[in-house]
Amino acid sequence: MTSSLLTMMLLCPVVALVATLLLPGRHHKAIKIVNALCGFASVVLAIVVWMQYDRSAGGYQMLEDYPWVPTLGIHYTVAVDGAGVVLSMLTALVFFTGVLSMWSLEKRVKEYFAFMAALVIGVFGVFISLDLVSFFFFYEVAVLPMYPLIAIWGSTRKEYSAMKLTIYLMAGSALLFPGLIALYTHGGIGNWNIVQLAASGNFEREFQIFIYPFLYIGFGILAGMFPFHSWSPTGHVAAPTAVSMLHAGVLMKLGAFGIFRVAMTILPEGAAYWAPSFALFATIGIVYGAFVAMRQNDFKYVIGFSSVSHMGIVLLGLNIWAAGGDAAQAGLDGAIFQMFAHGIMTALFFSSVGFIYDQTHDRDIRHFGGLVSQVPLAGSFFIMAAMCGMGVPGFASFWAELLVFIAAIKTFPVLGVFAIAGLVFTAAYVLRVFGKAMFGPRNPDWEKLVDIRVKSVAIWPRAILVGVLLLFGFYPSLILDMIRTAVAGGQ
Amino acid sequence: MGDLTLFVPEAVVLLGAIVAFVLSVIGSSYRVNWIASVIMAILGVAMSIAWLGAAGEPFFPGIYRVDAFSQLLKVGITTGLFLSVLIAGNPGSVREHSRIDFPMFLFFSAVGMMMMVSATELITLYVALELSAYGLYILAALNKRQREGSEAAAKYVLFGAASSAVTLFGISLIFGVARSTLLSEIIATQPTPLMVIGVLLALSGVLFKLAVFPFHAWAPDTYQGAPHEAVTFIGTASKVAAVGVIARLLFLAIPAHDSLVNALLVLCVASMTVGNLAAIVQNDIKRVLAYSTVAQAGYILIGLVSFSSMGVASAIYYAVIYVPIVFCAFLVVCVLGADGSNPTKSSIAGLYQRSPLLAATLLVGMFGLAGIPPTSGFMGKWFLFSAAIKSDLLWLVLIGAINATVSLYYYLRIIKEAYLTPPADETAIKVSPATAIAAGLGMTLVLVMGIYPRLLWELAEAAAKAIN
Repeated sequence: MTSSLLTMMLLCPVVALVATLLLPGRHHKAIKIVNALCGFASVVLAIVVWMQYDRSAGGYQMLEDYPWVPTLGIHYTVAVDGAGVVLSMLTALVFFTGVLSMWSLEKRVKEYFAFMAALVIGVFGVFISLDLVSFFFFYEVAVLPMYPLIAIWGSTRKEYSAMKLTIYLMAGSALLFPGLIALYTHGGIGNWNIVQLAASGNFEREFQIFIYPFLYIGFGILAGMFPFHSWSPTGHVAAPTAVSMLHAGVLMKLGAFGIFRVAMTILPEGAAYWAPSFALFATIGIVYGAFVAMRQNDFKYVIGFSSVSHMGIVLLGLNIWAAGGDAAQAGLDGAIFQMFAHGIMTALFFSSVGFIYDQTHDRDIRHFGGLVSQVPLAGSFFIMAAMCGMGVPGFASFWAELLVFIAAIKTFPVLGVFAIAGLVFTAAYVLRVFGKAMFGPRNPDWEKLVDIRVKSVAIWPRAILVGVLLLFGFYPSLILDMIRTAVAGGQ
Repeated sequence: MGDLTLFVPEAVVLLGAIVAFVLSVIGSSYRVNWIASVIMAILGVAMSIAWLGAAGEPFFPGIYRVDAFSQLLKVGITTGLFLSVLIAGNPGSVREHSRIDFPMFLFFSAVGMMMMVSATELITLYVALELSAYGLYILAALNKRQREGSEAAAKYVLFGAASSAVTLFGISLIFGVARSTLLSEIIATQPTPLMVIGVLLALSGVLFKLAVFPFHAWAPDTYQGAPHEAVTFIGTASKVAAVGVIARLLFLAIPAHDSLVNALLVLCVASMTVGNLAAIVQNDIKRVLAYSTVAQAGYILIGLVSFSSMGVASAIYYAVIYVPIVFCAFLVVCVLGADGSNPTKSSIAGLYQRSPLLAATLLVGMFGLAGIPPTSGFMGKWFLFSAAIKSDLLWLVLIGAINATVSLYYYLRIIKEAYLTPPADETAIKVSPATAIAAGLGMTLVLVMGIYPRLLWELAEAAAKAIN
């Protein structure tokens, strides 16, 4: 079936970018409205894609294929499977809510939205590309705008963090260059199509085992893989609210998605060979991230390390899939679900913290107390995000984590036990933040804090995100069915 | 004699040199001379594009070949010439009383470069090489600050003369073995070790032009001391010509593959690494760009040492896209250094507030050099790396990609200065209409060739086939 839905979805941020560049910089309102409209359009299109996707047929759908550099077999090929549908939805939601949560931005508005739109173009492109070159093209497009976004609008050692993040991610790309090109030259089918390469069967075992780490680590750095995660918390802390939302919400997913879509799909034997080792690293990431988060005093550092921990769950799930066995399917379902849930949840987290930080310019949890009584609405959004992070039933990530952990116990029993133990630390750091900042005695310094007004723009992004978390928390089958079809067709 | 019409693109550029010469002799103003030069340069580009499909031999058989390869590179060279002339409307860093001669030398040098990429006989090649070089030596000396200009030119001439001597020696060795100076006949002879040495020595003269390690020592000082507009030309067009000659000469040595390849692999890795590491500590933007040139030369060598049709095509592609990319960077240098000074990191600070156009041009140039999509630098690197991996050089690509990461550090720092650091002096920078057009043109070329690489890539592939 041909349709240009996906390209239209990709064009939403492109239109936003071009319009932002064309509008004069002083028209702040117009720029924000254009971006919000494009964000809304992308949400609508993502919903349409979701509806149009034929779950009974499965596999890659809505394929569009145009030659790009035909003599080298490079194409612009886009299509989605269930995972692509889910993650496009995530991107659209984070894009839209990200624009809304920066509604009060006054500093260099034009460039901000231009860079943000460029980043979203890259993210959409990655989630729908089926050609290795366009995949990597979009991947790099998504990574670079982070530098100016953090360095200009950020806080707390912003230039250091921005440079660190960029260098880390580019070091990942340095591994991807040889890895991806080797897939093409070794595949011997004269094109870069992921599905065709996976089906070609031209990759012998030694080659797979040799090349797989290049791809896994190359993408894994962006996914916050332990021990290459240290760019991530510092980056989160320095980034402005909406950038943190994009960064943790979707950008880190690109890495995990790259591992799933490229590395594991094309090199299944290599993936199976390396799965136990990389699952070990993922588990260390889960426990270590949660452990370090317990000791942090900065709101954003807490969330930053919790992201390392939660992305560890995603990577663990993916490795369970790669290892094969009975629990493989559950591992993958959980991983993709967790990508989605974590994306929404962290976006909510950062937007709540951002709301408080914008007024106080302080993020030290020891300086707060009784926030729920001072700013009940903002505080409760934070609490909901935190409960989702703990995996409380009723929120989306409960199901995701449950699936991964059950699968982990079956496939890697020892690691599974440790990973579940990591949940205890998660509960500990979340409750610590609750105790210090949200509840407890009120801090008189912040009595004048203004809460989110019910009729303001500020409430919309948070309300949408909470709604999505609850929706999929109570109806997980809605998303699980979608992911499953994906995988049935993808393999 | 062959079909002389094949020589039209070169003839037009030569005519441009003569026009510029006549105008300078009859004492017209620089403005008039510049406008005439811009028109002639546009004609040069137009003719090169119109003659893209031409093939044949305009002169005696065997000495000068017009084919898809030479014609594509001529488009690159004339584009570099045109862009360099376009921003030289008021060349602040060129000595006042020498300005009138400035365009003439640019054109003469460009003719030499265009002949370099077509020459298929060693003596013709050598003469063309010298023709292009002499113009550049003089251009380098025209700096308003005479001391620095002389230093730049002296270093350039001395290194240049030495490398010419080495090239000549190499040519003599090749002639000694093959008893001919025609490339077609040299290829047919059985290669001996002496021949390989000859080719390597002959190559070194051109590697000098490309500023490959260890022939790069002139680059930082010459870039620093020569007038900005002259460096713009040296940094763009002459690289294209050098890549062309190296590609032609290398195919002489294909049968005697191994030793030569190993030598070039070492140079390639050393160039990338030395260039990038040295660039990090520079403060003068022109010196940063000089060392980045050394590194970029290393990337181009990746394609050439792949010794495949695709490798040559990727090197040609990279050389051509490199022209507008570097141009974007130098344009900013020219405008900021309009008083003759060299821009440093601190003078670039806050460029964004002072001129958004210049800041955007700088951004595109730096992203292009760093190989970030959607600039053409990304596709260029992708093609180079693909060619290398096809030739089983995975490790070389890894080194190249790590180097690209390192280079990102200093490119980003320049962008950071331009966009983040508040300016010391907030006055807006005036950009002349011609320069604004040049900036727009440069950025468009970089982005279009990055998003739509197909056309140029197919030309590059045809070019690579033509010399095989």
